[in-house]
Amino acid sequence: MSAAPSRGLAAVGRHPFTPLILLLLLLPHLITQVRATVTLATEILIFILLGLGFNVLLGYTGLVSFGHGAYFGLAAYAGSLVQIHLTGGVGLPILAGLLFGTGTGAVIGFLIMRKRGVYFALLTLAFTQMFFFIVYRWTAVTGGESGLGGVQRPAVRIPGVGLLNLGNAVVYYHFVLVVVLVGAYLIWRIVHSPFGRVLEAIRENEQRAIFVGYNTKAYKFTAFVISCAATSLAGILYALLIRFVYPETVHVNFSGEILAMTVVGGMRHFLGPAVGAGFFIFFRDFLSAYTENWLVVFGALFMLFILLSPEGICGLAERIAEWLGLGRGANYPAVPPRPAANPAPAGGPLGGAGGQAARQEPALVCRGLRKGFGALRAVDGVDLAVRGGALHSIIGPNGAGKTTLFNCVTALFPTDGGQVTFEGADVTRLPPHALVRRGLARSFQIISLFHSLPVFENVRIAVQARSRHRFSLVVWADDLADINAETWQLLDDLGLAEKAAMPADSLSHGDQRLLEIGIALATRPRLLLLDEPLAGLSAAERTRIAALIRRLAGRITVVLIEHDIDRVLALSDRLSVLHQGRLIAEGTPEEIQRNPEVQAAYLGGLRATPPVAGVPAARGDTPLLSVEGMHTYYGKSHILRGVSLEVFPGEVAALLGRNGVGKTTTLMSIMGTVPPESGRVRFRGELISRRPPEQIARLGIALVPQGRRIFPNLTVWENLALAARARGEGGWSADRVFDLFPALRTLRASRGDQLSGGERQMLAIGRALMTNADLLLLDEPFEGLAPAVIEVVVRALEQLRKHATLLLVEQNAQLALNLADRVYVLGNGVVEYSGPASDLAQNLDLRVKLLGV
Amino acid sequence: MVPLSALILLEHLANGIVVAAYYVMLALGLSIIFGMIGVINLAHGAFFALGAYAALVLKGAIGFAPALVISPILVAVLGMAIEALFLRPLYRGDPLLGLLFTFGLAMVMEQIIRIIWGAAGLPFDAPEALRGAVRMGEFAYSRYRLFMLGGAVASILGLWLFLEKTRFGTIIRAGSRDGEMVRLLGIGLKPVFTAVFGIGIALAAVAGVLTAPLAGVHPAMGTDVGTAAFVVVTIGGLGSFWGSVLAGLLVGEIVSLSILLWPPAAQASMYLLMAVVLLVRPRGLLGERWEKFE
Repeated sequence: MSAAPSRGLAAVGRHPFTPLILLLLLLPHLITQVRATVTLATEILIFILLGLGFNVLLGYTGLVSFGHGAYFGLAAYAGSLVQIHLTGGVGLPILAGLLFGTGTGAVIGFLIMRKRGVYFALLTLAFTQMFFFIVYRWTAVTGGESGLGGVQRPAVRIPGVGLLNLGNAVVYYHFVLVVVLVGAYLIWRIVHSPFGRVLEAIRENEQRAIFVGYNTKAYKFTAFVISCAATSLAGILYALLIRFVYPETVHVNFSGEILAMTVVGGMRHFLGPAVGAGFFIFFRDFLSAYTENWLVVFGALFMLFILLSPEGICGLAERIAEWLGLGRGANYPAVPPRPAANPAPAGGPLGGAGGQAARQEPALVCRGLRKGFGALRAVDGVDLAVRGGALHSIIGPNGAGKTTLFNCVTALFPTDGGQVTFEGADVTRLPPHALVRRGLARSFQIISLFHSLPVFENVRIAVQARSRHRFSLVVWADDLADINAETWQLLDDLGLAEKAAMPADSLSHGDQRLLEIGIALATRPRLLLLDEPLAGLSAAERTRIAALIRRLAGRITVVLIEHDIDRVLALSDRLSVLHQGRLIAEGTPEEIQRNPEVQAAYLGGLRATPPVAGVPAARGDTPLLSVEGMHTYYGKSHILRGVSLEVFPGEVAALLGRNGVGKTTTLMSIMGTVPPESGRVRFRGELISRRPPEQIARLGIALVPQGRRIFPNLTVWENLALAARARGEGGWSADRVFDLFPALRTLRASRGDQLSGGERQMLAIGRALMTNADLLLLDEPFEGLAPAVIEVVVRALEQLRKHATLLLVEQNAQLALNLADRVYVLGNGVVEYSGPASDLAQNLDLRVKLLGV
Repeated sequence: MVPLSALILLEHLANGIVVAAYYVMLALGLSIIFGMIGVINLAHGAFFALGAYAALVLKGAIGFAPALVISPILVAVLGMAIEALFLRPLYRGDPLLGLLFTFGLAMVMEQIIRIIWGAAGLPFDAPEALRGAVRMGEFAYSRYRLFMLGGAVASILGLWLFLEKTRFGTIIRAGSRDGEMVRLLGIGLKPVFTAVFGIGIALAAVAGVLTAPLAGVHPAMGTDVGTAAFVVVTIGGLGSFWGSVLAGLLVGEIVSLSILLWPPAAQASMYLLMAVVLLVRPRGLLGERWEKFE
């Protein structure tokens, strides 16, 4: 982010435009000293405008275009043709070029704006090639290969200035200088306007920008058109400069040069593209005196920047300045000052005295909501009514469909059927940003922030989404006093005001969670959906966030997904229990605790299977797997806080615990996909904690992952064959797997994506067996399975214990206790209990204490 | 007697298939590289050109047929070295960096070709045995084009058999969808990435060698064909083998029919087709839903 717009004389000296204007005024004099011409100086000017305009898209919005040469060239052709055949003069041709290039850009932008990332870039490239061939082939109009000559620079009379003899190179330089400075100033205003700030927010995190209420497609489209306008203006000025238009300007190579120039200059700085333009033109002119292959040097330089310093020359200069101790170092960019008096209207979600009392009429109603992914019915006809002002929690085992339900309600993806009503109005078909505008906000399970933007801006952009200025291109975003005051107020309420200038990414995990809730609150929701706001937090942070949530409830309606059952029961007014995509219970916390169906959902439907009567398997003395003091992080989230456990040869160990305590992470850390930060993992005595997953797997550990992760495009047989690792006699083969799971034999030629959940689970186990591993890690093998299928899988596991050692992660404590010899219970990142399975199975009090069931 | 216009139409349709053949070869290479590595190789066209130029040098020394084999191998080795040395460190960063890097690579490779072989095009003669035409009744068709078609079809079928019937091919297909799971089964992906990059580039180079005798070689020959290959992948649908084949045929036929009907629109027509397909079927004709790209 650049500094706040300047005020006062002192600020003029610091304004980035001051050196630019001085330099550009002197440029014609300087450049003629080094044997170059004023025309070259004019070319630099034009490319500065081109680069600044292009960077609105690349640097500010984060969209890569390989096709901006098209608008440059088309504008040049259109303007020149208008001059040659219709009007003569300069003014109308410039206008015609500008309009034609921008208009074409608008049409193409409209066609491709739905695409993201790589696809977007490719489409811009394809369209520029299409235009190239049109221009190249349409010789009658464009002159084809030989270009279009006869462009004039006649004198023009400008009211109040007099007659300008544009034919003179120096006069034309100053004419272009005025146009370019006006253009640059407009772009400067735009990137500092509310609109420009939304572009940065989109670059940082488009989904979050949508979910604070911005119609990001409209913003991206407008940014595309603005960049096309600047490019078009540059194009027609260029045609007038060289009095000629040639088809290579429309070619993809030229588009690439624009991109390379901007990247080399530095796309994260306002003037970076200007630096790049000067560098590019000068470099080309300088080198082409020696070799006509100057592009090879420039291309190589571009590649070097991509590899070593993607922030370009400006970023490099900043780093060097910092290294020399000249730069701003660890200082953060300025944020708008706190207003002296507080004009913020009271009554924000956290301000004022208590809010509305719980009302009887429902704020949110879902009727028959359905959503499936392939064969999986994630949400299967949910009817839910949330009373206004209540804190309503949704609980259920992993994979019950809780987050999918949120995603359907907030229109993150379309539902397959059913209806969502918010405050009496049907909102099923509304896009997410419109829902937010109506007062329905959410947080995400994985913290979703505008990563590199300051904390202040994270909240400000969300406050701005409600402002009538939100799409304004002309006001200074930082001058909107109401928005600033409200942002400061909210930061005060959250306790984040001290950290207002820090980039969101540098906050602690707890503060990031707080900020995310703050972003949602800044949209002034009347209904807030919070998806696991306590996950990955320390005990103290949990208390802090829980208190905040409780403060919110009563003022607004809160729907909460959370795994910390104790806290949910303590916090909530009402609970709904989701199981396998369906609501199985609803009521007050007391009612839910007593509900037998709920207990069954958590205990599993297999109470009929008798516990395997204490047949402790033949067990070795030295552990096959030992984990000591393992600490693991997901980003900043400290998930495992010193996990230690051992698994002995021949036994079945179970790792139990509530949702979100780190069971899956433990398995992923053992496998090396989420490498532990510290601690030791040994397998057969060999240290494996620093190895990549494929090496760990080859040592003889196999994972049956959560969600099965069957390769959807491979057949059942191929899924098995892929995993096969030779091991002399007695190894596993596809046939042996089919003996274990006869259902798979008939499906051997079916593709993975055609299998049901149960078949996938069998295949995932079979696939792990095919590696002939000595240790099998099973992650929730019973999740989401029908009782009959659970029986099959349990039988299979009981057979397997003869061949391999098993470490079983399971939410369904009863099932796990039936199968396991020994049990570890994980709580908040540490092992809280370990002992024989039978002890835990018989000691109900202990089980309730540890597992809540 | 067959009317003249029908003969001409037939000839253009046959030419369309030949054009399609090398579009498909390029598109399939792009597609497997993108599927596996997640990088759109914008230098694909440059490797196509390099293959042709390398063959031009080699065929003087060892003849056309050995050059057709050796040139793609050399170009693929170069590509694999670039992947391992430069591209690999970019995988963890912003995916657009890989795209920008290959773009710079394309720029540099084209310039290097200019420096070594000059900016003007060079003739590339078809081998003696393949000159002339094959006659089928009234219809005469270039012997070399038939050979080229055969070579292309053999390469495409070879790739299909490799992907579908070999263990390595299975790894590639599985790794394209869930690379981490493949690693969890004990299969390291670094060599697979490099190999896939090499295979894709070898295909492009073979196409380059096969195309060279049709119109000679010139430094920019890769740029236009490379872009056309992106168009084919986009129309066919990301990651779909037969989608690329189908789209390549469509594009080849549309291009050569527009040459017959209205030459100025020859190349522009395929972009128009792409625009229409994208509006009607955003994932392409046979594109599947890929979790990691949605």
